Amino acid sequence: MNLGVRRTLDRLFTGLTGASIVLLMLVLMAVLGPMIYRGSGAVLFDGTVEFRRMQRDLFNRADRDALSAEIAETDEARQVVYEMIDRFKKGIDIAAMSSQAREINREYGGELRYRDATAEEYTESREVARTIRDKLEEAFGSQDIELIRKNIAEVLAHKDEPRFKGTVAERFFPLATDFLDAAEHIDLSHYHDYLVALDEVEVLLFGSAERPGLLGPRPNQVARPLAMTSYGATRWDQAQALLDRLVWAEKWVEKEPGRPLVKERSPRAAMFHGTALEPLFTYVPEHIDEMLRPRFTVYWQFFIDDNFDSHYFGGVGPEIIGTLLITVVGMLFVVPLGVISAAYLVECASEGPVMRILRMSINTLAGVPSIVFGLFGLAFFVLFLFPKLGFEPKACILAASLTLAVLTLPVMIRASEEAIRTVPRSYKEGSLALGASRFRTFVTVTFPAALPGILTGVILSLSRIAGETAPILFTGAVAMGPVPKSIFDPTRTLSYGSYDMAVGDRLAMMVPHNQYGMVLTLIVLILILNAVAIVLRSRVFKKLKGH
Amino acid sequence: MESRSLTLTLGPSADRRRPLALTPGEDLVGFISSHVGRAVLFLITATSVLAVLLILLFVILRSVPFLRDFGVGEFLTSRLWRPTADEPVFGALTLIVGSLYVSIAALLFAVPVGILAAVFLSDILSWKIRNVAKPVVEILAAIPSVAYGFFAVLVLAPWMQRRFGFSTGTNALNASIILAVMALPTIISVAEDAISALGRELREASYSLGATRLETMVKVVIPAAHSGIIAAVVLGMMRAIGETMVVWMASGNATQIPHPWWDLSQSIRTMTATIAGEMGEAPEGMPHRSALFAVGVVLLLMTFMLNIVSEYFLSRAKKAAGKS
Repeated sequence: MNLGVRRTLDRLFTGLTGASIVLLMLVLMAVLGPMIYRGSGAVLFDGTVEFRRMQRDLFNRADRDALSAEIAETDEARQVVYEMIDRFKKGIDIAAMSSQAREINREYGGELRYRDATAEEYTESREVARTIRDKLEEAFGSQDIELIRKNIAEVLAHKDEPRFKGTVAERFFPLATDFLDAAEHIDLSHYHDYLVALDEVEVLLFGSAERPGLLGPRPNQVARPLAMTSYGATRWDQAQALLDRLVWAEKWVEKEPGRPLVKERSPRAAMFHGTALEPLFTYVPEHIDEMLRPRFTVYWQFFIDDNFDSHYFGGVGPEIIGTLLITVVGMLFVVPLGVISAAYLVECASEGPVMRILRMSINTLAGVPSIVFGLFGLAFFVLFLFPKLGFEPKACILAASLTLAVLTLPVMIRASEEAIRTVPRSYKEGSLALGASRFRTFVTVTFPAALPGILTGVILSLSRIAGETAPILFTGAVAMGPVPKSIFDPTRTLSYGSYDMAVGDRLAMMVPHNQYGMVLTLIVLILILNAVAIVLRSRVFKKLKGH
Repeated sequence: MESRSLTLTLGPSADRRRPLALTPGEDLVGFISSHVGRAVLFLITATSVLAVLLILLFVILRSVPFLRDFGVGEFLTSRLWRPTADEPVFGALTLIVGSLYVSIAALLFAVPVGILAAVFLSDILSWKIRNVAKPVVEILAAIPSVAYGFFAVLVLAPWMQRRFGFSTGTNALNASIILAVMALPTIISVAEDAISALGRELREASYSLGATRLETMVKVVIPAAHSGIIAAVVLGMMRAIGETMVVWMASGNATQIPHPWWDLSQSIRTMTATIAGEMGEAPEGMPHRSALFAVGVVLLLMTFMLNIVSEYFLSRAKKAAGKS
């Protein structure tokens, strides 16, 4: 073959091998990048006044006086919004206005009975009031602006009549003017559309029973059962998103038949063109800072807080505790077992069928799929062993730890074995030559020398236990539940929590920072453990090489 | 300054008058204790054997009632998996095919990249840069599977749906890409061990004949290290077949055999995902639960087989490295 072709092919090959490592790095970045970027948002973000209010109410954690002052100030800015909505509503909510008119009429009738008036006066007043009511109701129900003007004018003609002075009936007139005011500005044929659009705006601003709004419930609104809907946007990014949805209305339109729907954005203000609500859509974006007061927040309590409403608020404290508990209890079993097994394999066993069986078992154990460990843990520990020992046969931390201990046993054995094997022969021979027994040599010479290596194995097993999910699905992990009181309770863990939040309900999708925060906590925990193990190992190698 | 005394102080246990030879009694005690100690250590070490046996025993025992009632043949050949129907059918064929399907697809991605990376790490990179590149592989191996699953569901799936217009982002392609990433560290480290264990002689002989690096690698080194590379592929396959969380989260869990067979954008369902997903809803004592254990047995047997194959090739690789 031509030399040039060979050289080019060779370069291509070298490039390809390099590209494979670059690809791995890119994959690593692609996996970790979004998690670090979005996960760190669980701890570092711009918290609004609503966040501080939530922290005060749910976690009892705030500078109360300063917060009260802040809330008062923001309320002042919000007042304008409330007023705009109320004013618009006055002219638009026909059902409410009609019932109001009827109520005024009824009350006026009641009032009249206790007045000194002749029977004639009484009947006449009642008659007039009734006409006013009918005219108003006719106007409310009409879409003809001329008719409305006429009716309202007729109603307002009664305004200065002495018989209504100082009575309930006076309330007829503001009702009439408000309505006329609104009716002059809106397209009467789209009454219903206004109501729907207004409802949307109100949900976006104040939230509903299902979803939180930008500002949270209005001050004198009925308390909501869920914590998540009792506050406005607690984070500035959430506020921005809600604000965007407030200003821009989205609609899915079918551009061509058969094609996927296309999202179309239009300014929401256009829906309310010419009405009293139109200025809202410039006021809110301009004054959002005053209404929410974003401030950079370091929410380190994310790592100790319990959560509310499936992780909508709060942190991953119980998950961390659960993970640590399972890990520590598991290590109690696996470390002694692993170290002793490794010691036996290195120091005592001689090659032969027994050794082959031992090795094969360890390799087989390492290859068993994690979900099968879950089945085994359920069948053996939970359903077989626990009743025999007099424990309640239910999934719990102990069962999960035992299952994971069996799972990591090969990791522990292999790491310890390697650590013990790397201890130089001269150490051992020196000790044996001094007359120490083999047991004594192992305990006082080999083991201390191998300790850092064994520690590496311990840390690697730790990180393996902390990260496994499948084996604890049926042996001890739950998605929701109290913090465990003993090792006979099931627990939440970071790993199972990550799973649950990734595929869980709509609620979790609303709080991506908490979703990613949970999995980032898990990854950071495991990567720290691994980094420690790597550093430890390289130092051990250096030290042993030095001798 | 006071001069320090240089006498050697012995501990109280050191008895200088003790004769060097042991008395028969001491000898006997030593003999017995060393043997008893050995036996105890052996018993502790045998925990691993016990664990393997218990796993086999309990998973098989639990599946026996189901296999007796429904028959092994039907279980392995029926395509229908309808555990909650009025007349439940438990045909595991779809699940077995699903597991093999994603694993093999994953290997198609992972093996070329893995071998190239192994060559790069063992033969091309200088020792110093290698110490930087290796942790990348180690971190990839350390990231827990649930985090990969999380990535598959929340990042990769929406992206694929947008980018390629798939009807769903959780499909065989998604699962096999992630499985490939998870199998890569295993493949790379085993293959790299095999390639670098070959020693310099083969390479130097090839280079001295004027071969380029490509020719040396493809015609000499990789053929010589083929046992180790096959073992790497088999171990990667084991990792992919046994993986639960990723396939559960990313494969879509639709009980179907892909049709046409090469269309990776369809949802599938694997054995591991079925066990993980349905165990919680299968009450104790019902055939559904036994059926899931039976699926576990199939899974276990498959990994045992792969394990034996990998051991065989690993031992051959060891011998080959010893020879050269």
